[in-house]
Amino acid sequence: MIQKILFIFCLLYITLSCGEDDNQNQGYSPTPVNIAVPAVFSQLLPAPEIPANNPLTQEGIALGRALFYEKNLSADNTLSCAGCHRPNQGFSDQRRYSIGIDGIAGFRNSMPIVNIAWNTNNKFNWDGSANSLEEQVLEPVINEIEMHNTWPNVEQTLQTDPRYVTAFSNAFGTSTISQELVAKALAQFIRTLVSGNAKFDNYLLGQATLTPLEEQGLAVFLDENRGDCFHCHGSPSNPLWTDNDFHNNGLDENFTDLGLGDITGDPAQFGLFKSPSLRNLAYTAPYMHDGRFQTLEQVIDHYSEGLVFSPTIDPLMKTVAQGGVQLTPQDKAALKAFLLSLSDHSLANNPAYQNPN
Amino acid sequence: MFKKAAFLVLLVIPFMACDKNEDDQVQQNTPVRIDFLHSFNEDAVDFSNFNTIQYTNGFGTSLSITRLRYLISQVSFTNQEGIKTLVKDYKLVDLSQDNSLAINDILLPPGAYNLKMRFGFTEATNTSSIYPDLNAASWNVPENLGGGYHYMQLEGRFLDPGDTPDEPFLYAYHTISAVQNPGPENTREDTSIEIDLGEITITQGATQINVNMHIDQWFENPNLWNLSELNGMLMGNYTAQKMMQENGQNVFSLASNMSD
Ligand code: HEC
Ligand code: HEC
Repeated sequence: MIQKILFIFCLLYITLSCGEDDNQNQGYSPTPVNIAVPAVFSQLLPAPEIPANNPLTQEGIALGRALFYEKNLSADNTLSCAGCHRPNQGFSDQRRYSIGIDGIAGFRNSMPIVNIAWNTNNKFNWDGSANSLEEQVLEPVINEIEMHNTWPNVEQTLQTDPRYVTAFSNAFGTSTISQELVAKALAQFIRTLVSGNAKFDNYLLGQATLTPLEEQGLAVFLDENRGDCFHCHGSPSNPLWTDNDFHNNGLDENFTDLGLGDITGDPAQFGLFKSPSLRNLAYTAPYMHDGRFQTLEQVIDHYSEGLVFSPTIDPLMKTVAQGGVQLTPQDKAALKAFLLSLSDHSLANNPAYQNPN
Repeated sequence: MFKKAAFLVLLVIPFMACDKNEDDQVQQNTPVRIDFLHSFNEDAVDFSNFNTIQYTNGFGTSLSITRLRYLISQVSFTNQEGIKTLVKDYKLVDLSQDNSLAINDILLPPGAYNLKMRFGFTEATNTSSIYPDLNAASWNVPENLGGGYHYMQLEGRFLDPGDTPDEPFLYAYHTISAVQNPGPENTREDTSIEIDLGEITITQGATQINVNMHIDQWFENPNLWNLSELNGMLMGNYTAQKMMQENGQNVFSLASNMSD
């Protein structure tokens, strides 16, 4: 108790001694919140990274949640973030290309936005074009083929809604709504989107057993001579099921989308995309940056016999000359069963993630 | 007592956070920094040299590097009285991450020391899943291959003599603790490598130490490495792991005059 008081006292002290509180409202005292870290994550992973200038607060998260479902962020008031990041689709979109407000389809498949607080590489989007979550969330609002709005317009729209004026005041101590604060609130909410309750998580905790087929599939996944998936997609020791890094996994001989290379301009990075997490595949079809595969069978066939060579192909795609590792039908079925054990069926129904508006 | 001390420390924090108190107390300890440098034959290698087939190994194979990450553990300075100071339990060096290429939080009294470190983890420290940062970096070795962590991932492309440069072959030279009988009943053998870098003198002021990895040595000495035969799936290959361990003995050295 005493320690808690001391701690708060010191926090205050730091704020008082360094801050310049012009716009602070008098009653501004948001409640600090910690991310609900799944047991498997706290055993195996570093604590989530929260930027010092955007700590999680109850008020900030609640505001972010309202904004995530707010159709008024789009120019014609029809599309919210959740329109392309649907809770019941693993916070991604089952349409190959999401459709923006002008009816124009994008050219990439939406990304599942869960466990983002553990993306310590801080590179967002398939091509790593955003360097922080706060930066990323600014973009869809003004993207011409997404929400096609302008920030001054968003600020103005929200400013005329008394509920938002109060909510911003409670969350950030100012009733002046700005794009930075919208981004901060959205980022706070997104950091609370955590998925760690798949069958496989419970298996790691000793609370579930794998079927023999799932166990065989895990062995294929971890076998250097068969799946060899673990080098890029995590393992029982890395329950993010991604390395959050960029690779060319042998999809195309020629690239229509340069991925990371389009951002860096480095030809050695042409055709590299972020390894997606393998969590929630039951909900996140279609697969790959362009949603080219409808089913997990197609994905597995790709790695087994569909690999094609291009100059930037990842050296881990070692059997590219043969098209892949040539998995047996049994291994393929097992791999699929294992991959599905990484899906978290409680995610969509988490009451904290529902539309509050 | 403890709480009182904590309170005082906390009181001081805000001041430290805001003003820069130049501390003119005489410091007994002086900062020491270890930089990890890399070379292939005589050429310095960093991330900007990656991806181009421009190196030739002892076997005569032309190759490129696309990825190089490795684990250093037990970095210690032993002074002349034989007192050993462990300055780092482990460190993952990743050439694609600039901030991983140095250890820069060392403070030691000036004097003469012996500097030692280890490539990879010893058996005692190579326990599966216990290092959260390494788990998040997907540095683990699957249980069927002995568990624990990788020592090194060196990857790239190579040309066989007579090969066209358009479609080079791929290699993944991964070192781990050697494993026999991969599978549930495997047995693991410590193939980490002690690196004795010899005498170092730390002087008052800042001391900077360069440790150089001679990447070419992994392919050369004593085992000439034929990438056409040994290019992938090496983790479960006990013989290859033992050869890598032998080749690793001469890979690291102090680079005395590489600074500035
Ligand atoms: C029209 C559909 C659409 C809308 C609306 C949309 N997104 Fe996205 N989102 C995408 C697509 C597609 C990507 C992948 C973009 C890429 O790689 O170029 C993406 C990527 C992301 C990512 C990166 C995830 C990662 O792991 O790197 C985040 C975060 C994100 N969106 C958040 C939001 C937020 C917040 C909003 C609302 C302000 C929003 N999105 C609105 C389609 C959409
Ligand atoms: C060299 C790293 C690497 C290896 C090894 C690897 N993958 Fe991938 N994987 C990727 C990348 C990168 C993508 C995204 C590629 C893209 O969209 O262009 C991806 C995409 C996927 C997807 C699509 C997920 C989604 O949400 O769209 C699945 C499923 C998948 N991989 C499963 C596997 C399996 C199973 C294995 C082993 C047989 C494997 N991967 C091996 C890098 C890798």
